[in-house]
Amino acid sequence: MSKRTSNRFGDSLLMGLVFLFLYAPIFILIIFSFNAGTSSSVWRGFSLHWYNELLHNRLILTSVYTTLMVSLLATLIATVAGTFAAIGFYSMRRSRRDTLMTVNNIPMMNADIVTGVSLCLLFVVFFNGWEHFAVWINSVQSAVTLPTRLSLGFGTMLIAHVCFNIPYVILAVGPKLRQMDRNLIDAAQDLGCTWMQAFWKVVIPEIKPGIVSGALTAFTMSVDDFIISYFTAGSSTSTLAMTIYGMTKKRVSPQINAVSTLLFVTVLVLLAIINIRESHQEKRAVRGTVSRPKAFKKPGRAVIILRRVAAGALACVLAVVLIVTGKAANARPVVNVCSWGEYIDEDLIAEFEETTGIAVNYQTVESNEALYSLIEMGGADFDVIVPSDYMIARLIDEGLLAELDYGNIPNYELIDAAYKGLNYDPDNKYTVPYAWGTLGIIYNTTMVDGEITSWDAMFDPQYAGQVLMINNSRDALAAALLDLGYSINTTDETELRAAFGRLREAKDAGVYQAFVMDQVFQKMEGGNAAIAMYYAGDYLTMLENNEDLAFVVPDEGSNWFVDAMCVLKTAQHKQEAEAWINFIASTTSSLANMDYIWYASPNGEALEQYGDYYFELYEEELDEELFAIMAPPVEVLDRCEIYENLPVDTLALYNDLWNQLGI
Amino acid sequence: MSKELIRLHDLCMAFDDELVLDHINLYINDSEFLTLLGPSGCGKTTTLRIIGGFTTPTGGDVTFDGVRINDVPPHKRQINTVFQKYALFPHLDVFENVAFGLRIAKIPAPEIEQRVMEMLEVVSLKGFERRRVDQLSGGQQQRVAIARALVNRPKVLLLDEPLGALDLRLRKDMQIELKRIQQQMGITFIYVTHDQEEALTMSDTVVVMDKGRIQQIGTPEDIYNEPKNAFVADFIGESNILNGTMVRDGVVRMYRREFPCVDGGFAPNEPVDVVIRPEDIDIVPVEQGQLVGTVTNVTFKGMQYDIIVDLGGFKWLIQTTDHSPVGAQVGVKIDPDGFHIMKKSEYSGLFGDYSSYSEEYEELADVSALEEEESGDEE
Repeated sequence: MSKRTSNRFGDSLLMGLVFLFLYAPIFILIIFSFNAGTSSSVWRGFSLHWYNELLHNRLILTSVYTTLMVSLLATLIATVAGTFAAIGFYSMRRSRRDTLMTVNNIPMMNADIVTGVSLCLLFVVFFNGWEHFAVWINSVQSAVTLPTRLSLGFGTMLIAHVCFNIPYVILAVGPKLRQMDRNLIDAAQDLGCTWMQAFWKVVIPEIKPGIVSGALTAFTMSVDDFIISYFTAGSSTSTLAMTIYGMTKKRVSPQINAVSTLLFVTVLVLLAIINIRESHQEKRAVRGTVSRPKAFKKPGRAVIILRRVAAGALACVLAVVLIVTGKAANARPVVNVCSWGEYIDEDLIAEFEETTGIAVNYQTVESNEALYSLIEMGGADFDVIVPSDYMIARLIDEGLLAELDYGNIPNYELIDAAYKGLNYDPDNKYTVPYAWGTLGIIYNTTMVDGEITSWDAMFDPQYAGQVLMINNSRDALAAALLDLGYSINTTDETELRAAFGRLREAKDAGVYQAFVMDQVFQKMEGGNAAIAMYYAGDYLTMLENNEDLAFVVPDEGSNWFVDAMCVLKTAQHKQEAEAWINFIASTTSSLANMDYIWYASPNGEALEQYGDYYFELYEEELDEELFAIMAPPVEVLDRCEIYENLPVDTLALYNDLWNQLGI
Repeated sequence: MSKELIRLHDLCMAFDDELVLDHINLYINDSEFLTLLGPSGCGKTTTLRIIGGFTTPTGGDVTFDGVRINDVPPHKRQINTVFQKYALFPHLDVFENVAFGLRIAKIPAPEIEQRVMEMLEVVSLKGFERRRVDQLSGGQQQRVAIARALVNRPKVLLLDEPLGALDLRLRKDMQIELKRIQQQMGITFIYVTHDQEEALTMSDTVVVMDKGRIQQIGTPEDIYNEPKNAFVADFIGESNILNGTMVRDGVVRMYRREFPCVDGGFAPNEPVDVVIRPEDIDIVPVEQGQLVGTVTNVTFKGMQYDIIVDLGGFKWLIQTTDHSPVGAQVGVKIDPDGFHIMKKSEYSGLFGDYSSYSEEYEELADVSALEEEESGDEE
């Protein structure tokens, strides 16, 4: 007996641990979504701030709208198509039906990534074929002009969602049909129904539970999907999941916690509805067969009314969400902008739309390399992109950028001469600089003795286990190259191998706690690491959460980078694109942006006026030291180099060495 | 009787090249209770479905009141059906099930109310209006199905083994109930069953079918007393069927003996099938018997004994109220009107010998009834 009790205690303990393990991450996420501070690791008190921010975040509202639209439409289409498909399967001979059901189940078993990639490929192949076809059609006749260039977007994503949703609907409806007495349709027709009437009055009510749970499953799947959407949405559309993913690439804003919490709650509610429905049906089935209740009652009037009210309320909420988010999403002339996450003051977008009437479709991508592959794949329909220096050089080399008409961009005059004619665009034909900054070392003054002034710190065994190395080959090797006194743009193999040796030695000596990108925020803010290399603007963000942090551009020099706005050759809204570039380059926009993103603007006036702007806004003096980190003075910049686009061989060597490091 | 309502003319039906109906010719009179009787796969359900409009025949015509209705869809026929497992709509309650056809026909609501309640009264289901159909017993569901069909006031009601799923007791009650309803409403019933007793009890006319062909049409008495061939004789009731020779009118020879009988109209010395019903045979002392045999098996059946007697290697079933012990030598006596003489047919020699008789044969019959039901599902 006692043994039994102790077992029971053990059981519940194990159970508790399992649940803790399963749900602790989500609880932490939910708790931190109410954090007053910006950090994801330091608690600064309760606040609904981030939920409020969420409501004013255009990007998120737009993607919520996209998500809801694609999920609702896909659910609707898939439910209708899946229901009819299930009926078709039902009337087949068993052997054929079983074969088809297996085929039907494959997409559900299939890895999402395979489905996503294959759909993407299909669309691209189709678009290519279509282009030839449309050109031919347009050349042989002139009555109709077919668009020649199709691109991935909402439509293709919708098709993809319909595609992966249909099997779930079939799977839910099929069993209901099989449970149905085949004679029911005959009986209805016998009683005067046409086939269609029989279908609506008898078949649909019979299989309705299956249809509803199929639709709910499909909707949940759609809302939840990331991978397939990612591959089929193209560059100008993004669902909530994609937006969240894009946001994490730059830095983890607590808004993500808030939006994830909302998403979690939504999915939880949907799942609860599905489960409650199912158990309700089971109960009813049991009650129907086992007991023959004398007191069977139809649901009372109140219950029916309550149900109707609940359904109506749900519909209203949905409609309101669609209208609110739809407002944010809809407008006429368009410009498609692709930039980095958290890299613009979003009020600027609203302001631009208000003054020009042009809608901005603002997308983000996580890295230069990802942007490049999107463009190269042909799925992108961006107008304006904001790549970094070396990537611009590469895009110009490959003839992917359009020459700008600077007559449409009068504000280009305001850009300081120091940021014109740089090596990536020596003749100033393709670019208008957006922001610039430096790479440097961030360190925690309480954990390091004295000041750090050299890249040596990144390789010093004295800080073993305390150093965070940046997780990208170019920056990491740049640190080693600089430490050895070489140029960061070297193509000399021996120099590169020497730099690699330095890096590897440090890694083997256990200097590095980790190779990180975004995690640097939590680790440095939380005091979990002493030293890291990262970008100046991000240091300023971290400083808000941890005042002990310091930033230095080491004596050996560093990389300074420029991100510039360019227009793709394939852009379909060149005029709007130039209007956008001109707007962003203006002094007022530059000031607002600088204040928001903590990266320096190339606009000379803005750099001069920032002190006053800051004082007006916050009623306190701008800390000169911090401003010097954001926009380093000439003597610092003189120590730094801009990355050049490396030759193919060197890039391959970088890749090779990076792989050898084995992170 | 009254006028002809439905006629099947040279009706043929094939599924995947398999002929299931082979030139069926049949007419059905108004207000008649007609039963299609036969074993599973004989084509009776197919015939019913063709009349109902659920299946289109591959050949031949169906006429209703003289009009060809081959291509008329089910919802335009003045015919309603009671399906094998009732096919009640589970999402509707009893009232709505019965009202279904009237609602489709857009009958005004007060009239629907009145007609449905009337019909529920006819089938003794008053007070069950708001029950869910899955809370009813089999017999109650059955009656809902009948009410649902009859409320539309069809000219013809088709019933596809409607009592198959009920237990014996309920089946007997429902047989009487159905007959009563048919007489009360005065409409034509076309009834499909494999149960010969059901067919004999209720029908005005019985159509015996096998292998897609009609074997015999007639009143229950006709087909029982004057079966046309060995199949009918065996399928309807119990029969001993023996080979014989018709010596001349009124005299049949078997067991190298001549027996007086009442049939005639055969060629002299024509080989024939001789049917003798078990209840038409008397067991008498050996010396009084026309034939002498040995009792091999005795089963007590309540009202009578089923006695198997070996007569020259052929085992006869004899039903009698007198007990004879196994192994006893007995005499057998048959009155002239106990013989029924049939022409030879493709069924000759297939039925009518009780050699394989055992006490389990009743159970075997039940099993075959079950199989019938299952195969019926797949049609």
